[in-house]
Amino acid sequence: MTQTEQSAESTGTSAREIVEPSGDDTEFVFFSGKGGVGKSTVSCATATWLADEEYETLLVTTDPAPNLSDIFGQSIGHEVTAIDGIENLSAIEIDPDTAAEEYRQETIEPMRELLGDEEIQTVEEQLNSPCVEEIAAFDNFVDFMDSPEYDVVVFDTAPTGHTIRLMELPSDWNAELEKGGSTCIGPAASMEDRKRDYERAIDTLQDDERTSFAFVGKPEDSSIDEIERSAGDLADLGIESQLLILNGYLPEPVCEDPFFEGKRADEQAVIERAREEFDADATATYPLQPGEIAGLDLLEDVGSVLYDGAEATVDVETATDGDGAGRAGPDGATDFGSMAGADAVVDQLTPGEETRYLFFTGKGGVGKSTVASTAATKLAEAGHETLVVTTDPAAHLEDIFGEPVGHEPTSVGQESLDAARIDQEKALAEYREGVIDHVTEMYEEREDAQIDVDAAIANVEEELESPCAEEMAALEKFVSYFDEDGYDVVVFDTAPTGHTLRLLELPSDWKGFMDLGSLTKGAAPAKGDQYDAVIETMKDPERSTFAFVMSPEYTPMMEAYRAAADLEDQVGIETSLVVANYLLPEEYGDNAFFANRRAQQARYLEAIRDRFDAPLMLAPLRRDEPIGLDELSAFGEEITGLGDIAAAGAPEVTPS
Amino acid sequence: MTELTLYEEAMCCSTGVCGPDPDDELVAVSAALDQLEDAFDDLEVNRANMQHNIDQFLETQRIYDRVQENGPSVLPITVVDEEIVAEGEYLSYDELTAAVGQGATPQEA
Repeated sequence: MTQTEQSAESTGTSAREIVEPSGDDTEFVFFSGKGGVGKSTVSCATATWLADEEYETLLVTTDPAPNLSDIFGQSIGHEVTAIDGIENLSAIEIDPDTAAEEYRQETIEPMRELLGDEEIQTVEEQLNSPCVEEIAAFDNFVDFMDSPEYDVVVFDTAPTGHTIRLMELPSDWNAELEKGGSTCIGPAASMEDRKRDYERAIDTLQDDERTSFAFVGKPEDSSIDEIERSAGDLADLGIESQLLILNGYLPEPVCEDPFFEGKRADEQAVIERAREEFDADATATYPLQPGEIAGLDLLEDVGSVLYDGAEATVDVETATDGDGAGRAGPDGATDFGSMAGADAVVDQLTPGEETRYLFFTGKGGVGKSTVASTAATKLAEAGHETLVVTTDPAAHLEDIFGEPVGHEPTSVGQESLDAARIDQEKALAEYREGVIDHVTEMYEEREDAQIDVDAAIANVEEELESPCAEEMAALEKFVSYFDEDGYDVVVFDTAPTGHTLRLLELPSDWKGFMDLGSLTKGAAPAKGDQYDAVIETMKDPERSTFAFVMSPEYTPMMEAYRAAADLEDQVGIETSLVVANYLLPEEYGDNAFFANRRAQQARYLEAIRDRFDAPLMLAPLRRDEPIGLDELSAFGEEITGLGDIAAAGAPEVTPS
Repeated sequence: MTELTLYEEAMCCSTGVCGPDPDDELVAVSAALDQLEDAFDDLEVNRANMQHNIDQFLETQRIYDRVQENGPSVLPITVVDEEIVAEGEYLSYDELTAAVGQGATPQEA
């Protein structure tokens, strides 16, 4: 039962040099990665290891659902707290929501003197924008990037896309500030004081002597691809990614059948590819454990494997959790046979008299596109005219269907099934053109002979360079798919949760903004009604179904839960389906290790049932991801409800 | 030296492009102000909106009083050399030229 092959390869010394302070200045270590890859664990292990090496260490987490308390077995919270039992280590949890609220209140406070309650409320609503959340989140980084009392500050950052935006925004801000204009996020003038802080933070981020960027991912192609994209974005900003940590590979001794042997071989190939292709100074790996990583012993194990080149300790023989295994079903495994929820699932998916809109949402890496494509395939097989649309910039619908998928809906080879992909750049170009046309037309009707139309248009073009315009463009395209005629079902494989929320939330915000505008202008914006109609459709459970896709693990579940709560609170949309993906099959992995993993999944399935008041679709882990219509169709038979759509009856709607 | 100040209500960006539609009036006034600055030698244009430049509202007693008495519907307020020339509406380029024209010197063509 040796694992020497992996640990020998983990370039311990080099990873160590990356996270250790290189001079007298404070070293900043950022961990980036999607939720559920073990980013918190790795951050905690790194901080613990650094503290053990006698560096004065601070661990900062901006995770909205922090589990530091579980990992360290002690409550931490919003103040810098010393960690019990580890000398030199302190930690703080920053809640991004609280930070944003504080920022909002600081902005609004001076207006109270001048405006009434109602008007303040309108301004508050307007400030309830993703931009404000970004600036507030970045402020937290900036605050901790001046911490001379620590040798090292370890940031357990928010998920990748978010992180990138945080990093990108300050460059934009500085550009805005130099132009002297006002920005989407704040006033140029009042940000002048902060400008130096931002610049210093960016300089530090770009200084690879003082700052280390590490990516944490799973040994999966999609995870590596996403990391490469994110690393590319950082590189554009002059930030080098130095360390890659691949977490959770299957330990060799526990893979005793073709299913898991095959999975393990795939993972090792991915690790190999990542070592060769990814431009990091060092790569380190850590195996999957039978349970969750908590407590100082396991943290120290992680640290010593990553930074000292030690061998991982994996207990592969003890069934550690008899209680959990007992709850997992009659055979100690998740009970796939019980399809009690199948009818409720079919109800949620099948169109009635009007077109039904299905939204499969969830973080990247939870198999959302595959589940959405499988549902679309089964709906089309049952005779429903179906369109599947992805808004994910990392879309791989083409790979899933094995057919080209473009900006406009096209057939993917199955009768009644079309697919489309929102192309950000194209959408932006279309949006820009629309706005410029509108402005040009406006001037044609005006009497002001002296006005310089070209200058006016140049003015608008400049404004269209803002990040707001990009979001607007994507939303416009998103909304346009609601008007596609001739479909019984439109399936959205939506962008990762945060981004989706942004798209979905903005219309409500804009309505606030437009109402505010109309206080004086009284002009009803042309698109207001269209957005209203789309929001009404999304809120109507008869016409729209929101399905959250997740794997039954802590972080993915919490992220989905939080996103679902935001959808309900901010847009008034209820979650009507939950998809639990990657359930371990019973027929393979007949040993204590997988029994423990299954028991853990069963516990989280239970937790998912408790948290979400919606029918549950169960989808199994597959040896390979389904590719092409035949495999999608076969996969559909294994997911709760999807196999029953055809039996649910012929479509009630025939498109004219 | 002529000073033109426009006091505006809280808004995201000066052309309204950040909303679903660009606001025609805002697009027009942004362009008009740019052009006005080019057309007059000694004209200084300044825009203050309530979200971003609240201090200017609080520190300018006359504007403060107008907003507190009438609410934000009195905005936008156009001020030329300390004199309020318009309230509750944006002026067109021609109107702005007329308002500024008395004090400022047109640029030599």
